[in-house]
Amino acid sequence: MEVLKEKVEEEEAAEREEAAERAERGEKAMWPMEVQKEESTVTQEMLRDLERKLSEIEVSIPEKPSTFTKDPIDVSKLPLSYQSNTLKEEHLLQVADNFSRQYSHLCPDRVPLFLHPLNECKVPKFVSTTIRPTLMPYPELYNWDTCAQFVSDFLSMVPLPDPLKPPPYLYSSATVLKLQKGNCFDFSTLLCSMLIGAGYDAYCVNGYGSQDLCLMDLTREVCPLTMKPKEAVQKEEKAPPKKYAIRPPRDLSSRFEQEQETKRQKAIQDEKEQRLRQEEERLMEEESAKTDPLYGKDDDHFLGIESLWNHKNYWVNMQDCWNCCKDLVFDLGDPVKWEYMLLDTSKPLLSLTEGDDSEMSEMNDEDDVENLGKEDEDESFDMPPAWVERIEISPEAFETRCPNGKKVIQYKRAKLEKWAPYVNTNGLVSRLTSYEDLECTKILEVKEWFQNREDMLELRHVNKITGLIIDSFKPGHPQALRVHSYTSMQPERDRVMEFYETARVDGLIKREETAKTMTEYYQGRPDFLSYRHVDFGPRVKKTALNSAESNPRPVVKITERFFRNPEKPADEDVAERVFMILDERIQLRYHCREDHITASKREFLRRTEVDSKGNKIIMTPDMCISFEVEPTEHTKKLLYQYEAMMKLKDEEKLSRHQAWESELEVLEILKLREEEEAAHALTISIYDTKRNEKSKEYREAMERVMHEEHLRQMEAQLDYLAPFLAQLPPGEKLTRWQAVRLKDECLSDFKQRLIDKANLIQARFEKETQELQKKQQWYQENQVTLTPEDEDLYLSYCSQAMFRIRILEQRLNRHKELAPLKYLALEEKLYKDPRLVEILKVFV
Amino acid sequence: MSRLGDVEPRVIDDHMLKQAVGEQGPQEEAGQLAKQEGVLFKDVLSLQLDFQNILRIDNLWPFENLRKLQLDNNVIEKIEGLERLTRLVWLDLSFNNIEAIEGLDSLESLEDLSLFNNRISKVDSLDALVRLQVLSLGNNRIANLTNVIYLRRFKGLRTLSLAGNPVAEQDDYKMFVCAYLPDLVYLDFRRIDDHTKELAEVKHQYSLDELKHRENLLQAQQEDEQARREELEEHKAAFVENLNGPFLFESMYAEDVEGSKLACLPGVGELLETYRDKFVIVCLNLFECGLKQQEKRKAELDTFSQCVQEAIQENQEQGRQRIAKFEETHLLSLSAIRDASELTTLETRLVACRERVAELFNALMTLEMQLAEQLEETISLFERNIADLVGLFVENVQSLMAQCRDLENHHHEKLLEAAINTLEKTVKGELDEDLPDDVRALFVDKDTLVNAVGASHDVHLLKIDSREDELVTKVHAWCTHLLDRIHRDEITRNRKRVKEISQYADHAQTELDALECAELLD
Repeated sequence: MEVLKEKVEEEEAAEREEAAERAERGEKAMWPMEVQKEESTVTQEMLRDLERKLSEIEVSIPEKPSTFTKDPIDVSKLPLSYQSNTLKEEHLLQVADNFSRQYSHLCPDRVPLFLHPLNECKVPKFVSTTIRPTLMPYPELYNWDTCAQFVSDFLSMVPLPDPLKPPPYLYSSATVLKLQKGNCFDFSTLLCSMLIGAGYDAYCVNGYGSQDLCLMDLTREVCPLTMKPKEAVQKEEKAPPKKYAIRPPRDLSSRFEQEQETKRQKAIQDEKEQRLRQEEERLMEEESAKTDPLYGKDDDHFLGIESLWNHKNYWVNMQDCWNCCKDLVFDLGDPVKWEYMLLDTSKPLLSLTEGDDSEMSEMNDEDDVENLGKEDEDESFDMPPAWVERIEISPEAFETRCPNGKKVIQYKRAKLEKWAPYVNTNGLVSRLTSYEDLECTKILEVKEWFQNREDMLELRHVNKITGLIIDSFKPGHPQALRVHSYTSMQPERDRVMEFYETARVDGLIKREETAKTMTEYYQGRPDFLSYRHVDFGPRVKKTALNSAESNPRPVVKITERFFRNPEKPADEDVAERVFMILDERIQLRYHCREDHITASKREFLRRTEVDSKGNKIIMTPDMCISFEVEPTEHTKKLLYQYEAMMKLKDEEKLSRHQAWESELEVLEILKLREEEEAAHALTISIYDTKRNEKSKEYREAMERVMHEEHLRQMEAQLDYLAPFLAQLPPGEKLTRWQAVRLKDECLSDFKQRLIDKANLIQARFEKETQELQKKQQWYQENQVTLTPEDEDLYLSYCSQAMFRIRILEQRLNRHKELAPLKYLALEEKLYKDPRLVEILKVFV
Repeated sequence: MSRLGDVEPRVIDDHMLKQAVGEQGPQEEAGQLAKQEGVLFKDVLSLQLDFQNILRIDNLWPFENLRKLQLDNNVIEKIEGLERLTRLVWLDLSFNNIEAIEGLDSLESLEDLSLFNNRISKVDSLDALVRLQVLSLGNNRIANLTNVIYLRRFKGLRTLSLAGNPVAEQDDYKMFVCAYLPDLVYLDFRRIDDHTKELAEVKHQYSLDELKHRENLLQAQQEDEQARREELEEHKAAFVENLNGPFLFESMYAEDVEGSKLACLPGVGELLETYRDKFVIVCLNLFECGLKQQEKRKAELDTFSQCVQEAIQENQEQGRQRIAKFEETHLLSLSAIRDASELTTLETRLVACRERVAELFNALMTLEMQLAEQLEETISLFERNIADLVGLFVENVQSLMAQCRDLENHHHEKLLEAAINTLEKTVKGELDEDLPDDVRALFVDKDTLVNAVGASHDVHLLKIDSREDELVTKVHAWCTHLLDRIHRDEITRNRKRVKEISQYADHAQTELDALECAELLD
């Protein structure tokens, strides 16, 4: 049975009215149950309320589907295989007709078979040839579940023109993909093509299903995403007691009392257990429900099967479907249960053993009546190849997935919205809204999934009741944030930040904040710090009007805990230290030794006191109270204690500083988060050539450069001899005289051109100088009468003219310098020219 | 002190040490404290005694924990008096008049040794300094490059200075040192670059290879020796050492004069051969059995100690949890008592606190008593089992030894027979002439012969008996020793825990007392 991973395809089972009625009944049956669940005691008022509610319910009878018309398809552009049938196909159609006739004769009370609907070009095509097995180039489509999910997302559903009959048309999958919509037959043909291409033994099924299923109505299903994952129950394996395991201490309590107690408790427990069991059963049912009705087989939604086919053959179901599809035997090799159309040599699911051959032949004998004619014809007949064009899905379409990149699915008490990546500017790809009630008015919680966010936000979970927001990040956030749960973005409120500790230098795992405290958890630090808890006091009001940031809250108490440092002896390795800053008290607790149960403790009281003579007391024995597991001499010394205290004082300062830094960091992260939230930039993979603007620009620039390079090369290859060669009769070998002439002509021409160029520059130079002189003359004549503007104009003209003259002068000089060189270079080149070299080398 | 000309050599005395410690110890506030309390020599970690004209190192033994000792710029002639400073890491003896390296055998943690500017001519007696990293031997009188080879044994040596020695003036000096000490990083305070290292290696490749080969051989030999020793130890632990071969058999004949004489008799050679084979097989059986039994005993002991460990761990965990719980409430109530103002509430709180302490004490003691009882039970069970195992082993050994004795008896009979036959032949004069004279002396009469054979037999039996006795006594001794140890360990553990618990409770009580006193004073 498992082999049939097909998407079961179905038609409406009963009459429309019946279906509607059943739905109504179902809903009616369901509603009171729901109400009772919510309110345990039913009062008169409630009953009235219930009545009102029930009357409000409108059974939504889907409007009569308008006659199913597909968008006009340009038939002329379709390939030839669409427009006509080959000989083999004609033959197959005849066979099918014959089969159909026999079938209707033998089973007159059954619906006519769905064998050869018309295609886009109104040409009858056999259903099996409409399946074109194709392996898609996307790994996601290699598995049946993701593949089916893709098909259901990619196409939009169009109801059948007549829910009780198979459609008169069955379009090719290529056309369906182009239109991105289709009826259930189109869905299944496409999916079947892809699954068979991916190596599955898949079949298209023509049958009956419930209305919800046929209309892809999931409003009565529980959303699979809202279900909690099954908790794996781990049984702790208890090691068998060893030979010398100590006996447990003798139990001295009264057995009688125990018995009484157990008796009393048992009654309560039984009750509880019963309740639990019920609960469990209910849960189990929920869990076993199929995640998507598109692929179930033991589901209640599948009511019956008429026939099924794949790309090779066609089978008719001869079993009774009184108990939906639950009792069907999917052994297609069994000719009693499944009547085949073509005699197939490889019956894939024949599970009968060789020994049953005789039995089989008997059965065959029984079927002879209908098999007789067919078998003669079908001998060595196999299915002609598919007439359908190649199934192709462009990468863009694959990524966009749903038509227009958006899809909304309504579940029971939940709504799931899906978008293609990059459709939303904030990277939102799906949103699941859970509701408290069935009408979907009271929102319980919202889960939003994001993709390609620059701030690595992956999931945002908003609990609308508590107002708690939980943001989850993928690795790669600039502050190594992993989870951030908060109710408000204001600092000094309740919040928890979790981090990817390996990405952080300080090994911080988690930071919890409340209004008055901050707790940090660390791991893998070289100083073995594991925990720091800071208690803050109320903020002191400052007289100066400083901003809030520069007025940190006073620290009241810092508690730090450390992991065991294996290099130090336990008596010197501090496990916990508490700085009570207001009391000026420092408490130390050391780690416990391996074989001890008590740990050393030390408490420093730091009060600056003055003795009777007014001298400052540096250190007295009562300033350090210590308990040592194994007292040693040197720790009793005041000097040792003094030094330890001085060190702790420094460390206290450091810890306070770190607490302050942590506060700053929280502010920084919050600021960063706000900025990121406002910007919500999306990342684009460098492999995404379509979206990546930068790489596009780069590619285009490269192309341009290449083009220019090409042009330059073309130019460089310009043939300087071509104009002269053209004068000569083509195809003839050059004589020496011709070659010499050619060379001379070429050279003289070049010389002429150089002279011309020099003359041209000279002429321009002279012209420019003359003009300047004229202007100067004019200026000198009219100098007195000129307005300041004119004077300015004149001056600017002068400077420009001078500039031009200078440039021309330079060019002329340069030309004079380079011209002989260029001339020589050309001469050299001509000598080496492959067309002339043979003839000219005699002279060299 | 600093007179011109010859200064008077001094000796390290208490005054000098106290002065040095005082000057080099903590300063300012901490210094006041140190003065007030006095500093114990054994707490000093670093000591500087330079430019003191010290002639002899002495009186340094109280500085048990000294890490760094500077004795440079003195007139010391001999390294001595440092035996007790085992934790020394840094020793500076530069600018003295030392002629030989000595007296450093106990300084195992020494890492940095400076003997700069002395009169040393030979590098040796440094074997104990396995952690040596820096060795300064500049300005000495080392003339022979072979001294460098001695330094190969210090795997951690990274810095060496030999400048100012006659040896450093040799052309090959640098290359030689680099080649023979490949792990060296600094020579004469300069980094050795890789290029020099390569060159040096190529230059001295052949002699170096030879040296390495010799070293490897030596090492392999040592390892072999070690392995053999370990194996023997293992066999000794199983009490069957030297039983995996013909050792016992050979030892039987080692002291047996008559036996070796009788071996020359015709036919006895073969007899001896078969006897020997059979005997060795029995010995091997005994050996195998011994090893097996040893393994069994070991497994038994392992499970026992594991179980005991687990039980103790669990108990400790319970104790710790109790204490943690107690401390949580105790700390709170202590601070409450500190803050309390009224005397009556204070009283009640103090009483409550005391009760809690007593309760904790009782709970912990109960736990400990429980554990002690449980362990006692387990130990007695183990005692029985191990005694059984030992008994079984002894029985096995005895039966196998009996086989040995049987073989010996059998052999004795056969030998006697052969001897008498030979005697008869001798009497009849049919004997071949190839018997040595001392053997021929046995065949004077029957009594002598029988006595000789009997003596040989007795010696053999004695050997077997003594081996058996040795084995059995050893096993029993091991057994009693083991059990004694287990009992002793358990008792010490118990005492320690009880002491710990009462100490803790006492501390809590005294703390409360101190609080009460303080409150009353207020």
